[in-house]
Amino acid sequence: MSILSLNNVSKSFGETKIIKAVSLDIEQGEKHAIIGPNGAGKSTLFHLISGRHNVTDGTIKFKDNEIQNKPPYEIARLGLARSFQVTNIFHRMNVFENVRCALLWSSNYRYSFWHLLGRQGELNDQAMHVLDQIGLKDKALYPSGELAYAQQRALELGIAIASGAELIMLDEPVAGMSHSEAENAVELINRITEGKTLIMVEHDMNIVFDMADRISVLVYGEIIATDKPENVRGNARVQEAYLGEVATSA
Amino acid sequence: MAMIKKLSVWIAFLLVMLALPQFSDSILSVSIYNQMAIAIIFALSYNMLLGQGGMLSFGHAVYFGLGGFLAVHTLIMMEFETVYFSIIWIPLVGGLFGLLAAIFIGSFSTHKAGTVFAMISLGIGELIAASSLIFVGFFGGEAGVSGDRTFGPPLFGVEFFQDVEIYYVAAVWVFIATVFMYLFTQTPAGRMANAVRDNPERAEFIGYSARRVRFISFCASGLFAGIAGGLFALNYEFITEENLNAATSGRVLLMAYIGGLGYFIGPILGAVILTLMNSLLSNYSDLWMLYLGIMFLLTVLFLPRGFAGFIMMHQVAWLKGSLKNLALPYLITCIPAILFLVGAIGMLEMSHSEDAIFHFLGMELDTSSTITWLAAIIFTLGSLFATSKSLPQLRDAWEEANTIPEVVKEDES
Repeated sequence: MSILSLNNVSKSFGETKIIKAVSLDIEQGEKHAIIGPNGAGKSTLFHLISGRHNVTDGTIKFKDNEIQNKPPYEIARLGLARSFQVTNIFHRMNVFENVRCALLWSSNYRYSFWHLLGRQGELNDQAMHVLDQIGLKDKALYPSGELAYAQQRALELGIAIASGAELIMLDEPVAGMSHSEAENAVELINRITEGKTLIMVEHDMNIVFDMADRISVLVYGEIIATDKPENVRGNARVQEAYLGEVATSA
Repeated sequence: MAMIKKLSVWIAFLLVMLALPQFSDSILSVSIYNQMAIAIIFALSYNMLLGQGGMLSFGHAVYFGLGGFLAVHTLIMMEFETVYFSIIWIPLVGGLFGLLAAIFIGSFSTHKAGTVFAMISLGIGELIAASSLIFVGFFGGEAGVSGDRTFGPPLFGVEFFQDVEIYYVAAVWVFIATVFMYLFTQTPAGRMANAVRDNPERAEFIGYSARRVRFISFCASGLFAGIAGGLFALNYEFITEENLNAATSGRVLLMAYIGGLGYFIGPILGAVILTLMNSLLSNYSDLWMLYLGIMFLLTVLFLPRGFAGFIMMHQVAWLKGSLKNLALPYLITCIPAILFLVGAIGMLEMSHSEDAIFHFLGMELDTSSTITWLAAIIFTLGSLFATSKSLPQLRDAWEEANTIPEVVKEDES
């Protein structure tokens, strides 16, 4: 059963067509990677799904709700969470507050101004649990803006997964990390997305082929292949358009 | 333990406020206390916008003023016995009107933060200030409106003829308003206001409409500004256009900024400092507005986190117990810095003085003499030079007092 389906989704900025009639079904529980050369429109596709951009044409369905052109907060409330390529945290708040804020809506606090957060034991335990998962428990009271890069990336992930969303979208989660940092991050992602649906954009082919159940290849705004990793590797069109040397070296 | 500590801070706050008239209850003192009380609520309400919510408003006096005007009209209605209740509730009347105005104006002004919000707030401020001279029935034109607070029913025999009686009412309102504004920062809506301030986009991706979050802070801020306006009406028994125009909006911005936006206590400090400057300095010098402006400039340049930020900068050194090592370096810098200030102020006052002989710190200075000016310039520049020479040693001492923060962090968590 597909949890997310894109049907003929297009996006133009002025005259320029960035996404051209993309259709894609994401199965419940799968780990799906989107790859493609720079400027292929991967991040734009993420923005369309998560509501940052409006689509020019087509429909996006998430769990039977049409979500195209909805504001991000409505999409997030349905259980779709995402992280960002550029670290996007609440930099003046401490690490704990960052994660607790990410938990608020799904814990049904909404815009309450009558609950005192210090007294919400369950919520605070949950936030600490997330911090434990992402390995930042000992940095809980640290100003998030002053964390090291890899730690900020971990927090970025923590904010995305805190709400317990069923579908998690990660935009280049290990970009800019050293080899060992990336290894840790992959392990972390595997751990925290267990049993959930994951869509990720990633440039590191080793990670992609290692993690993904299926891969979609996006080239110039079109998906030229969606298949299992081994089939994508063998796909002639993909090799020609994009993978070429990478597939042989990997 | 932490709970008791927090509670005792609040109790101390209340006790200090209630005890103030015991130290001095001259008419001047009480008038300053009342101004402080009004300014504290007003500045804290402004901080809900700028410090907590990231909304730079140039028109916050609108909610203060509107609350005040309705409060005076309520006093007038009491005089004609249309309504009859104790005047201790007048600030609440002002608050509710401030809230109403904020709900209406916030419904479109909180759509965006940043420049858009700032411009709308400026526009609304000008609009209301202009209307106040047009709708004379409500605003009373240039003369404003005035009432009489003594027509309400007495409270425990107190009829509020004296300002000090109003002070006790004000102190209780300051306490209530401060507690509620503090508690607001601890709620989901208050925390999300911080989140939206830091990163409105990400806030939307965790399920919150940035606009709605801003709107809630905006309304709360209007409510408390209105309460401050209501207190103003109670204290002065009149209100004019001046209390809702851009100058008043600017003053509350200065208070919050100089005190320190990032800290809850900042605006309280700012309100106290500026009220004192306003009422005391203005007795000594015509130039006090200039000094205020210079102080604002210096704060922006050198203490971007305000006075509260400056105090909090010493937290690490204090926890480390190395604060005393800073005393001497501070003293060494302070002496020439104070001399420089004396020199600079002396020159400013001298150029402002219209008399030939200018009395300054027991000296008789001839303002027309070149030698006086030359001496003043040499004195001022010399002390400035000495100040700058003393800065490296202060910096070194500072570095030393603040290193090894690792151990301290363990203690904190």
